[in-house]
Amino acid sequence: MKLADPQSDRPRMSRSAKRDLRNGLLFASPWIIGFSVFTAYAIAASLYYSFCRYDILTPPHWIGLKNYSRLIVDDEVFRRSLWNTLYMVIFGLPIGLVASLALSLLLNAKVKGIAIYRTIFYIPSLVPAVAVATLWMWLLNTDIGLVNVILSKIGIMGPGWLTDPKWAKPALILMGLWGVGGSSIIYLAGLQGIPEHLYEAAELDGAGPMQKLRHVTLPMLSPVIFFNLIMGLIGSFQYFTQIYIMTNGGLQDSTLFYALNLFNRAFVDLRMGYASAMAWILFAITLLCTLLVFKTSAKWVYYEGGASK
Amino acid sequence: MRSFRLLILVIIGLGLLLIAGCSRYHTSGPTQIIYWTGWSGHELEIQRKLVDRFNATHKDIHVKLLSVFGSYQKVTIAFAGGDTPDVLSAVWADQLAGYAMRDALTPLDQYLKASNRTSSEWAPGVWQMFQYKGHTYALAATTNTSFIAYNKDIFREAGIKSLPRNIAELDEAAAKCTMYDSNGRFIRYGFRPSDLVTWAYVFGGRWYDPSTGKITANDPHNVEALRWMASYSKKYDIRRMQGFESTFGSDQSVSGPFFVGKKAMWQTGEWVDQYVKRYAEHLNWGYFPLPYPPGGRPNAMSLGGSVFVIPAACKHKKEAWEFLNWICGPEAVADFCEGIGNVPPLRAVAESPRFIKKPLFAFAGNLISSKNAFGAPQMPIWPTYKQEIARAEDFAVYGGQDPKKLLDAIQKKMEMELADAMEGRK
Repeated sequence: MKLADPQSDRPRMSRSAKRDLRNGLLFASPWIIGFSVFTAYAIAASLYYSFCRYDILTPPHWIGLKNYSRLIVDDEVFRRSLWNTLYMVIFGLPIGLVASLALSLLLNAKVKGIAIYRTIFYIPSLVPAVAVATLWMWLLNTDIGLVNVILSKIGIMGPGWLTDPKWAKPALILMGLWGVGGSSIIYLAGLQGIPEHLYEAAELDGAGPMQKLRHVTLPMLSPVIFFNLIMGLIGSFQYFTQIYIMTNGGLQDSTLFYALNLFNRAFVDLRMGYASAMAWILFAITLLCTLLVFKTSAKWVYYEGGASK
Repeated sequence: MRSFRLLILVIIGLGLLLIAGCSRYHTSGPTQIIYWTGWSGHELEIQRKLVDRFNATHKDIHVKLLSVFGSYQKVTIAFAGGDTPDVLSAVWADQLAGYAMRDALTPLDQYLKASNRTSSEWAPGVWQMFQYKGHTYALAATTNTSFIAYNKDIFREAGIKSLPRNIAELDEAAAKCTMYDSNGRFIRYGFRPSDLVTWAYVFGGRWYDPSTGKITANDPHNVEALRWMASYSKKYDIRRMQGFESTFGSDQSVSGPFFVGKKAMWQTGEWVDQYVKRYAEHLNWGYFPLPYPPGGRPNAMSLGGSVFVIPAACKHKKEAWEFLNWICGPEAVADFCEGIGNVPPLRAVAESPRFIKKPLFAFAGNLISSKNAFGAPQMPIWPTYKQEIARAEDFAVYGGQDPKKLLDAIQKKMEMELADAMEGRK
């Protein structure tokens, strides 16, 4: 492989440039080796395995597109898990985005002790996912969980949050809202970067708070919203840890998400080829969704420098 | 340039350290045997004591114990990489056929023969779960029975004179023990069946026919078993029952519904004894074998649990066998099973005074020798199959779906998966 040299019109590299290149590569080599062995090779291998029957104990055996056709045509559980995941993307993601944006607007207010509020709201996102999952299993317990106990105080009989197939996914979305502090911080940074003079100008033009939000804050914040949307999209498609701990698929597969199903296929069934095919389908879907969002971004994302490519 | 040489030196040094760290076996002294187990906590401690005893009495072998509890993928990955420990007890009986089919395990036949150990030492169902295609691939130090534990006080209060022997009597007893308040909410309930794999055996069905190698998921008896299980959902309003159940802790916790007298009958195993001692010392309880319908099987059970194997890649098979033979031999099995409150899979141990002096263990020891105790089917896709069965149970019991249709679907799906798995293999 030839390394791209931006100054290739120059006849030769000088001795010192060569040495710099060598040393540079050497210093970067732990990363280069790590990346090629543990990432690039693994990705390439999974693509190859997705066309194989591979149980990891015996060598892979090429079967062409059979894994893919089996998944798409015959696998009802695959379809269910895909739907569950899309549910989280379609309903959970927007709710999370709006909630964290709203929270960041509140945390941007100039009130006394705001730093304390910011800390309080940020703390949940520091708690490890496993601890969060365990905590929420208690909070969402049908009868002794705090959520239902509080609901019962105001005369509402709470559902079996995690045990009722109809409520399990909404319960997870609710749980996700607890951790919005993480993305709120990113919004907050964006909010702080909006120049004061824009608000002043808007005020001079007679804009009220809603108009300022609509015409100054949101457009100026759009690159951050865009970033959070993309990250949230990818995160939603990979939803795994909490559910692995909390329900491991739940009743009637109500919380069997794509990544968990993939994991089961790989490590319960030892069907690495099949699981690899699932991974590539997930990758294709995620890529497609991300591209769609990118395509639309030109219409709503505003870059200050005007470089909205 | 100097710093560059230094870097090279450091890299070489690290490399050497890495190589040194990889040498697993001592060049002199006793042969080191690496042993991975899935036990943890109290059970691991007892296992560790046994290993220490083995090491003390076998000067030429040193067994090193490591618990992989909670990270069982490690086992699979070790097999995949061919870098397995010498002895493993973190493999489930359910997975055995899958590993055996792929030649990942050492067949134990010749070692068993050389050590004069025979199939008759083991309960038949247990022995069956060690087998794949006529070879023995594993031994076990533990297994579990399953039966119904009942609350004697509730039975007396409900006026139940004799213990249920068939399904009709079980249903009746369950109804008698169930109590509602004036709003129709549960105060207490009688019974709720779970675990379709087992109940199918009770109803006379089976999941796999080893003689023909065929999947038998939609065997009419299996369907009948699932219908019966689902009948409880209609009779008792499963949502309410579930809501009621969730007011308590899990079954094995101090606030488990059976322990606090809110569930009259609990389908469980002999290990329950320890929990009663710990959490509900004054509970007045008894036990009886799973009742069965006409044409069903008495004392039916599905056996499972972890098994001991020697991976095919083991380099010290003789020594590994010596340890395995000892840890699954009468002395170690007796101590281990007594320590953790399990019924011993070895007949002679189960029938020894040490165990039968306790009525529960006399009862369980009898159960385990039942000809209707089935080990995990000797088929490579059983873990997947079992997951599908649990899924069908879910959809029938909680989702009200048709048992026949559900099991027909599994039949079709598993036939396909089995054909895939067996393609081009012996």
